[in-house]
Amino acid sequence: MGKVIVVTSGKGGVGKTTSTANLGTALALLDKTVVVVDADVGLRNLDIVMGLESRIVYTSMDVIEKQCELSKALVRDRRVDGLMLLAASQKNNKDDIQPEQMKAICDKLRTTHDFVLIDSPAGIERGFSNASAGADEAIVVTTPDVSAIRDADRIIGLLQNARIEPINLVINRFSPQLVGNGSMMDQADVLDILNIDLIGIVPEDSEVITSTNRGIPLVYEDASAGAQAYMRIARRLTGQRIPIPDFEQKGLLNNIMNWFKKKK
Amino acid sequence: MSISIKQLFGRKPKSSSIAKQRLKLVITQDRLDVDDRVMTRLHHELAEVLAKYFEFSANSVKMNLKQEGNSYILVADFPYTKFHDLNVRQ
Repeated sequence: MGKVIVVTSGKGGVGKTTSTANLGTALALLDKTVVVVDADVGLRNLDIVMGLESRIVYTSMDVIEKQCELSKALVRDRRVDGLMLLAASQKNNKDDIQPEQMKAICDKLRTTHDFVLIDSPAGIERGFSNASAGADEAIVVTTPDVSAIRDADRIIGLLQNARIEPINLVINRFSPQLVGNGSMMDQADVLDILNIDLIGIVPEDSEVITSTNRGIPLVYEDASAGAQAYMRIARRLTGQRIPIPDFEQKGLLNNIMNWFKKKK
Repeated sequence: MSISIKQLFGRKPKSSSIAKQRLKLVITQDRLDVDDRVMTRLHHELAEVLAKYFEFSANSVKMNLKQEGNSYILVADFPYTKFHDLNVRQ
């Protein structure tokens, strides 16, 4: 039986879709079978971030309306074995789906795959209820700023009420430089406020933009800091114990050392 | 407190610690589901009662919710200037 994990955040634009795409791909690269499910009905984006937008024929709506079999609606990612996408309908809206219908889809997918990752829409309304209905676990993505953290706290409360656990935190767009000069909260600050387990920190990485432009998730080329961070999180999801590296850089010496590391 | 000491030495507090402080307060309120209006009403009612016993200026009053572990603490500061001697008044 596979695990169903909802990737959520409350606030939009913090990197839910990017995280879902990269973690799904990373898990497949680690030889797991994975389905990534876009639960953002009406505002789908997981397909374009993963570069699969031209191959969508059926969506979860078609499965619910019994227009096609679930297995037929899954789009195979040809770049890696064991990775599938279930797209959301773009012409419907979130109220056209019931939480039980999403749960039924997740329950079916978990019998044939190791991981089902659900990309939740922003917000705390119906879209979120649908996305989390079939989930056992949650990954909450936040950035280290006040609005994202406040919204993450709201979502964590709702997930706890729904008895979804564990709830793991990903701190995205972390800037060691800003933390170093006191302009950004560090992981200890964020964890002190949110009080859940940290599963990874993804440093701010301009490669995210270029990889999204191309439709090639970062983790396919594992050189960048962001790709390595996502690979580590994926390994942790499979149960491996990998320490979270200290990203904080203090002072000039570290900057010079990092520059040399990059050169290598 | 640490912020005001730093300010004395002319150093600006780090914006990250301001962010953390503000967040902690607002999230405590969010979690308790405390309505701003309810807090304001409580503030007024407390002030009304305490005004019978103490003399204080209304704008020096501070009320905050704090979280310590699993419990929440309501901290109200009413810096008073004078204690009314109720026996004398009557």
